[in-house]
Amino acid sequence: MSSAATPATTPPLGPRRVDDGRPTRRPRGRSFASIVLGRTAARTGAKLGLAWIVLLILMAVFAPLIANSHPLLMASADGTLSSPMLDHLTPADAGLFAAFVAGLVVLFTPLTISRRLLAVVGVGLGTLIIVGPGWQLIRGEPLLSRPALVVHDQYRESQANGDIKWAINAPIPYSPTDRLIDRGDTRQLEPSTTHLMGTEANGGDMASAMIHAARIALAVGLIATSISLVIGVTIGGLMGYFVGWVDLLGSRLLEIFSAIPVLYLLLTFAAFFPGDPELFPGVAVPRIYVMMAIIGLTGWVGYARFVRAEFLKLRKMDYVASAKTAGASVPAILFRHMLPNGVAPVLVEASFGIASAILAEAFLSFLGLGLLDQPSWGQLLSQALSDTGRFYWWIAMYPGLAIFLTVLALNLIGEAMRDAIDPKVAD
Amino acid sequence: MTRPPLLEIAGLTVSFPARGRGAGQRTVAADDVGYAIYPDQTVAVVGESGSGKSVSAMSVLRLIATPPGRFDSGKILWRPNPDEAPYNLLSLSEREMRRVRGNQIAMIFQEPMTSLNPVYTIGDQITEAVRLHQKVTSKQAIGIAESALRDVGIAEPRQRLREYPHQLSGGMRQRVMIAMALACEPRLLLADEPTTALDVTIQAQILELLRRLQEEKHMAVMLITHDLGVVAENADVVAVMYAGRIVEFASVERLFARPLHPYTRGLLASMPVLGQHAHRLPTVDKAASVPDDLPAGVSVAPHITMQPGVRYGGDAARLHRVEQDHWLLCTLDDGFKPTDTRAEGEAALPGLDYRRSLVAT
Repeated sequence: MSSAATPATTPPLGPRRVDDGRPTRRPRGRSFASIVLGRTAARTGAKLGLAWIVLLILMAVFAPLIANSHPLLMASADGTLSSPMLDHLTPADAGLFAAFVAGLVVLFTPLTISRRLLAVVGVGLGTLIIVGPGWQLIRGEPLLSRPALVVHDQYRESQANGDIKWAINAPIPYSPTDRLIDRGDTRQLEPSTTHLMGTEANGGDMASAMIHAARIALAVGLIATSISLVIGVTIGGLMGYFVGWVDLLGSRLLEIFSAIPVLYLLLTFAAFFPGDPELFPGVAVPRIYVMMAIIGLTGWVGYARFVRAEFLKLRKMDYVASAKTAGASVPAILFRHMLPNGVAPVLVEASFGIASAILAEAFLSFLGLGLLDQPSWGQLLSQALSDTGRFYWWIAMYPGLAIFLTVLALNLIGEAMRDAIDPKVAD
Repeated sequence: MTRPPLLEIAGLTVSFPARGRGAGQRTVAADDVGYAIYPDQTVAVVGESGSGKSVSAMSVLRLIATPPGRFDSGKILWRPNPDEAPYNLLSLSEREMRRVRGNQIAMIFQEPMTSLNPVYTIGDQITEAVRLHQKVTSKQAIGIAESALRDVGIAEPRQRLREYPHQLSGGMRQRVMIAMALACEPRLLLADEPTTALDVTIQAQILELLRRLQEEKHMAVMLITHDLGVVAENADVVAVMYAGRIVEFASVERLFARPLHPYTRGLLASMPVLGQHAHRLPTVDKAASVPDDLPAGVSVAPHITMQPGVRYGGDAARLHRVEQDHWLLCTLDDGFKPTDTRAEGEAALPGLDYRRSLVAT
């Protein structure tokens, strides 16, 4: 730097340095996760896929604001303000809002990418569990004092009677379970300006059902895959690290599970748990949780294989020996030192896994073994063909398209992630 | 003033299931290995690949996977406190062993490129090593990590803590490894060929660094290497290993001045000399490179016996103290007069409480 003052007789040893007058700045270290995510997001296919998934997430979280028979905000004739939408919010709705906000906060706080991802998953799952079945277990009553009897057409009626001064309605003013009994026979109406996607077999609005069904699809996809991941990573990790008889037993378990076709397993499990089963006396577990568990319990074999293969390779690595030398315990070595290095291909597989979990849910619901009281894409699809044999194209097309696009989007993201991880493909 | 040894390896025999020709039998990787390490000294363990030098070091930390490995016999006595009785590391539970690893005995490896976990920053890894053994807050741990990096001569330690291993060069990574190993101030450092993967100038720096840190932190070093130049410059005491056995044990001056075992002589003869032109370098003759392939009971190929009447290998050979500071694997038919001056109660193990005086460079 001070070379300007001394006459340049002999150049100093070492690399030539050019002083461009700007302060030197060392490039900030980037973790593997952030590099991979950056490369993934750079691909057009993945961008489109991500856009669709983000749209789905927004629809799923804000479904009560988008499609609801209850006005978002209204003033009654005497001028008191109220929000019937808020009064009718379910714990799951509130939980999703909370998780969404928490997710945003975590995403935009300075943490490493991998920790952020972990926190998002943790906060989301935690809120769902606490607000949902957890609250009911502790307090014996739902978190929000929701009226026991939901009358969907009461506000339409009072609006017609002039009991309401003004009201802000949701863009689609029908709840998915609103069968529009005040409108006469609304079953299987073709798409029109009142019902953008027509109505389904029970007379409810298709568009509203589609939006609320996005929640089911995403929740089943994410949670079932998380269950599979936890089981698969634990079993595969133990097999790969301990080798020997642990590996032998685990391999046999994998073979037994992979010998049975998944659809057959799903059907067996689903038939085994009809309706809302009571796991503990007085605690009815909603069917959707049972569905998640069933799909999760049947889908872990692939992850276990992947993790086993990765761990077999990683256990020979010097940094694993080095961690052991430093006095780290076996769980710490397995999950802190090995897992982050071997988890990338498993996460790619998981994005395909979410797609297949969504398909599995649609499949079960289509066969009438899945959700009965809540609209899901598969369940809507099953209404496309009526008992009399008539085919209603709009009831088939929209859910079919939604399933197709979601599975496609997830596969595009998975594909891009796989390429981003593969050192042979990456730049 | 004699101090008790810090570490005593006594009659250690470790075996693995044999592969290849001898399948079904067990290959003895370390055969009745025994020696002592005194506080603050550097013991170099020399030998070629497969001679059992790494196995005996890994055994100290119990890093040998059992199975397939097996500790057939022996004791590893560890005496972190000179006033207390030593305890056998081989009979500790896994949980107790974890408290020794990294805390009292640390280890650094050959490959600095792969010894650091690529997904964590340098800071994460050093603080983790610290917090495994010391009850400190994460802020304090970062402080310890920073001073550890400064100790090993890394500039701008605060910035480096936030960097990932792939951003550092090989020499830097080995420095980080050393910083990690020394963060808990261990009494003994096992250095398994710490400079093999580095180029010669960096090698010299790292060895210099190790020597300085050893002085400052009062720790003993077990230096595993096959580089006799490294031994000559750094060791106080040398153990030469061949086919799982210690064939010669002596102070560094004694060993280089008067090597007795044919294998040691062969090793020393095969060192290239600067400025000397040789068409072929002398090599160590041997029957086989892998212990699996040696005939039963033979630890040294028979034809390298030099002195009539003295057998340096085979079952009958024992490690005898042939001089005050010199042990040799041989049978005593004739040839050597053992000066086995060992008194009753004195440690039967080869071991010298000796540190050479370092000439300031």
